[in-house]
Amino acid sequence: MTTSVDHTGRQGSFDNLIACPGCDLLLHRQVLQEGEFARCTRCSDVVQTRKCQTIDRTLAAAVSGIVLLLISLCLPFLSLSRAGIESHISVLDAVESLWLSKMRWLGIVTLAFIVLLPLGRLLMLGWVLWRIRFKRKTRRGMRMAFRWSLRLEPWAMADIFMVGVVVSLVKVSMLASLHVGAAFWSLLLLVAVSIYIDLTLCKETVWNILSR
Amino acid sequence: MEHSQPLGFSAREAGLKACTSCGTIQKIATAYPCARCGASVFSRRRHCVQRAWAFLIVGILAYIPANLQPIMLTRSFTGDTSDTIISGVFVLISTDSYFVALIIFVASICIPILKFVVIAGLALSLQFDWDMSEHTRHRLHRLTEFIGRWSMIDVFVVAVLAALIQLGAILTILPGIGINAFAVSVIFTMLAASSLDSRLLWDNKNEG
Repeated sequence: MTTSVDHTGRQGSFDNLIACPGCDLLLHRQVLQEGEFARCTRCSDVVQTRKCQTIDRTLAAAVSGIVLLLISLCLPFLSLSRAGIESHISVLDAVESLWLSKMRWLGIVTLAFIVLLPLGRLLMLGWVLWRIRFKRKTRRGMRMAFRWSLRLEPWAMADIFMVGVVVSLVKVSMLASLHVGAAFWSLLLLVAVSIYIDLTLCKETVWNILSR
Repeated sequence: MEHSQPLGFSAREAGLKACTSCGTIQKIATAYPCARCGASVFSRRRHCVQRAWAFLIVGILAYIPANLQPIMLTRSFTGDTSDTIISGVFVLISTDSYFVALIIFVASICIPILKFVVIAGLALSLQFDWDMSEHTRHRLHRLTEFIGRWSMIDVFVVAVLAALIQLGAILTILPGIGINAFAVSVIFTMLAASSLDSRLLWDNKNEG
């Protein structure tokens, strides 16, 4: 990205100013080199970033995230055997059995935080970046999609779910023998991909392109 | 890393407001949504302290049954047992799983209580203009936003166990009513933390 991107599409005359999102201090906009970031002098929040190849990298990560999530939905992520009875569960089985055992609310919470919100977030992010990457026309819905994909971030809880799975493994290890399945590993990769998206997504660049 | 050059006053004092979603600056008097990203722009989120209190009170109230009611029922041929959050921790300790016991203790007991205290403290400090360092308050606010979601661990543990351990008469695990209350508590405390506008924490001094 060249610095000229920073100034395209801006309306009004405050292009050279930024306000810290954490403490509202007004700051002069810096010209950053690729890979640099700037912090607020008062509260130390990051106020400006410029990451390399953010569109390509984040798009790749979002697409692989979607694939990994779909894999982990259908394949079993844990199987257990005890006294000759085997049971395999996938994420969808888990939600289904919660739904059937009159704990619908818990099933909905699990489905929303593990499947719907992460998938929705990745789909919106992927769609926006796809259209940017392949130079399609900017649509009005893209701004809303990108805004929501940022807002949903703390509610996508695949990482916490994985810790929960490991804790349950320990809890039942004395009751039955347990094996982790393919979906377990793909969920683990999904966690890594989400962290990678956090590291490579440069919001400023995307907003600048979307407002062009 | 670079430090940006400060102007020495906030956007609000300059009669400007910044979009919380994309950072674009406009005049406070502007009534339109952000020209760049389409979000509504507020100089400070309106009634955010009251909103935080409302969410927090729901969170605290739900935390009481979450601890008193069982979160998990184990049904086996040797009889039924039920576990609350704290008895689950003791079960783990009795099986020598100290590390996992520590994770659950921190996630289900320390973090929620810490969050109640910190969010209530921040809200009170805004209402009564406490003389507290802005840096401390800012760090506490970021901390509550960051750690809040990790309390969900216990909810997912129960969800996984209840889904997995369905072996009929030999061994069945059912979720207890307490886990619903606990999930409500975690979700509402997360909402309380995110509804507090951190920019307010820096306003007091100048507006006196």
